[in-house]
Amino acid sequence: MSAVDLPFEPPSGVRGALLDVWTMARRDLIRTMRQPEYLSFSVVMGVFFLVLFELVFGGVIAAGAGVDYDQYLVPGVLVITAITGALQTGNTLAVDLQYGADKRFRSLPMSRMAVLAGRTVADTIRNAVAVGLVAAVGYAFGFRFTSAGSAAAALALTVGIGYAFSWINAAIAAKVRSAELVGMLSMFWLFPLMFGSNLFTPTVAMPAWVKAFADNQPISVVATAVRALANGSDPGLSVVGSGAWIVGLLVVFVPLSVRLYRRA
Amino acid sequence: MNQPVIVVEGLRKVYGDVVAVAGLDFEVEAGTILGLLGPNGAGKTTTIEILTTLRRADAGRATIAGFDVGRQPELVRRVIGLAGQAAAVDDRLTARENLDLFARLYKLPAPERRARVDELIERFDLGGFADRLVATYSGGQRRRLDVVAALIARPPAIFLDEPTTGLDPRSRLDLWREIRAMADEGAAVVLTTQYLEEADRLADDIVIIDRGEVVARGAAEELKKDLGRDVLVVHVSDPADLPRAAELAGDGADVATDAGHRMLTVQLGDGPPEALAVLRRLSDAGIPVEDFQLRRPTLDDVFLTHTEVRR
Repeated sequence: MSAVDLPFEPPSGVRGALLDVWTMARRDLIRTMRQPEYLSFSVVMGVFFLVLFELVFGGVIAAGAGVDYDQYLVPGVLVITAITGALQTGNTLAVDLQYGADKRFRSLPMSRMAVLAGRTVADTIRNAVAVGLVAAVGYAFGFRFTSAGSAAAALALTVGIGYAFSWINAAIAAKVRSAELVGMLSMFWLFPLMFGSNLFTPTVAMPAWVKAFADNQPISVVATAVRALANGSDPGLSVVGSGAWIVGLLVVFVPLSVRLYRRA
Repeated sequence: MNQPVIVVEGLRKVYGDVVAVAGLDFEVEAGTILGLLGPNGAGKTTTIEILTTLRRADAGRATIAGFDVGRQPELVRRVIGLAGQAAAVDDRLTARENLDLFARLYKLPAPERRARVDELIERFDLGGFADRLVATYSGGQRRRLDVVAALIARPPAIFLDEPTTGLDPRSRLDLWREIRAMADEGAAVVLTTQYLEEADRLADDIVIIDRGEVVARGAAEELKKDLGRDVLVVHVSDPADLPRAAELAGDGADVATDAGHRMLTVQLGDGPPEALAVLRRLSDAGIPVEDFQLRRPTLDDVFLTHTEVRR
C-alpha cells in the first residue's frame, strides 16, 4: 500500500518538541495539584531544617562564627529545599519508566526528550513555589533581602540549581528504572553534599580537604551567592560560579539522561 | 480490492542466542482483526514492539500504512495506536484527562481534540466514570480506557497486546465488543492473545506462533477444517461390544476404540449424516449405546496439535 495521506500536518521540530514538553509538564502539574504532599514534602523539609538549625545550633554558631545566623541559615535552607524538591523528578520518572506508561509514550508521535523535560519543568515550577514558601517562613524568622532585584536573582539561582539537580535525578532514574532504588541511591550523594557544605555552618573549622570540597561544590557555591545577594555584600565569584555549575551540570546531565532513556 | 494496511515480511528478532521472532510474515487489511495466538514466550509481545517502533527488528521488513517501521518510525507513530500489556493510563488523572493527554501528544488540533474525547467517551460508554480519577476504577474500566486511548487519533492500525488478560468474563465481553467496533470503523487491528476463545470470537485471521515461528495460520474456520474432520464419540454399555461396533462403524483407519472407557471414536468423512448412519447401524445390530457426542474440532485442538507436538 502506498503511504496514506496523513490527516493533518502536526507542528514538528522544535515547536512540536516544546509543545510536547508543555503537554507533559501540564500533566505532571495536574497530578501535583491532586497530590499536594509532593509540594509540602520539600516545604516541610525546608521549614524543618530552618527550625532545627535555628533553635538547636543557632546560638552556638552565631557566637562562634560571629554571623547573623538568620541571614546565614535561610539561604542554605532555600537551596536545600530546591535540592530535595528535585529528588521528586527521579522518583516519579522511575515510576513512569517502571510501569506501562513509558511504552505508550514511545509509540506516540512525540519528542522522546519531552518525557524527561516535561517532568523536570513541572518539578521546577513546583520547586519555585516551595522555595517561595520557605523564603516566606524565613522572613517570619527575620531573614531579609536587601532589594527585590537581589531577591529575584537569588531565587532564580536557587530554582536554577534545583533544575540542574532534577536532570541528575532524571539520569539516575533513566539508568535504574526503579523508584525504590532511585530513593536509596539519592541518599548516597545527598548527605555528603548537604553536610559537606556551608549550608548550615561556615566551613572554617573543617579539615582542609573537606573545606576545599565544601567551599566549591555546587550547593555551597549557590548558597554563598544567595547570601551575598541577600546581604547586598560582594558576591565574589559565587554568582558567576553558581551560573557555571548550573550550566555545567545541565550540559552533562541533559544529554546523558536522554541517552540513558533512549537506550532501554 | 482492499490493500493491506499492515505488511510484515520475514520479521526476525534475536536476543542473545534466543530467537524471539523467527521470520514472521502476515498482512492485515483495513477493517479486519488479526489474532496473533501463542503461549507465553512465543514472541507475541516482541512482534508488537517491533511493529510499534519500540524495538528494531534484526531482519525483515514491516510497513504500516506504507511507512517502514525501521526507517520511518516518526511517521509510523502517527498512524498507529498501541495498548500494551500493562495498562498505560495515569492513576491521578481522570479518563477525560488521560484521553486529552494522548490527543495532545498526537497533536490533534484543539477543537477536534475536545470533540474526539467526547465522542470516544460516548461511543465506548465511559461516561459513568469519565470524570473520576483512574485510581478509583475497576480493573475492567481501567483496561477499557487503556484500549480506547489507542483510538484517539483514529489510527489506521491498532495494536492490542493481550488486552483482556486478567479481566473478569463480563469485562472481557465488553472489551470484545469494543475491539470489534474498532475494526468496523475501518482500522486494521492486531491482537495478541493466549485465549483461543478470544481469537475464535474476534479474529478474522489467526496466526499461531510458538517460539517465534508460525506454526499455523488461516481463518478460524479454515484452521479447524485443516485439523481434520468432525469426530463422533460413542460410549457403549458393554466393552465386549467394542470390536463389533468398530467393525460396523467404518473401515478401520478412522476408528479407534478404548476399552477402559468403553469408548469408540470415529473420524467422520461426511459429518452429521455419517454420524447418523453409524449410530443407526449400531442400533440395528442391537448394541446398547449409553451416550454419544458429535464433536467439531476446536481451536484448542489446532493449538495443541501445533504447539505441543514440538515440545
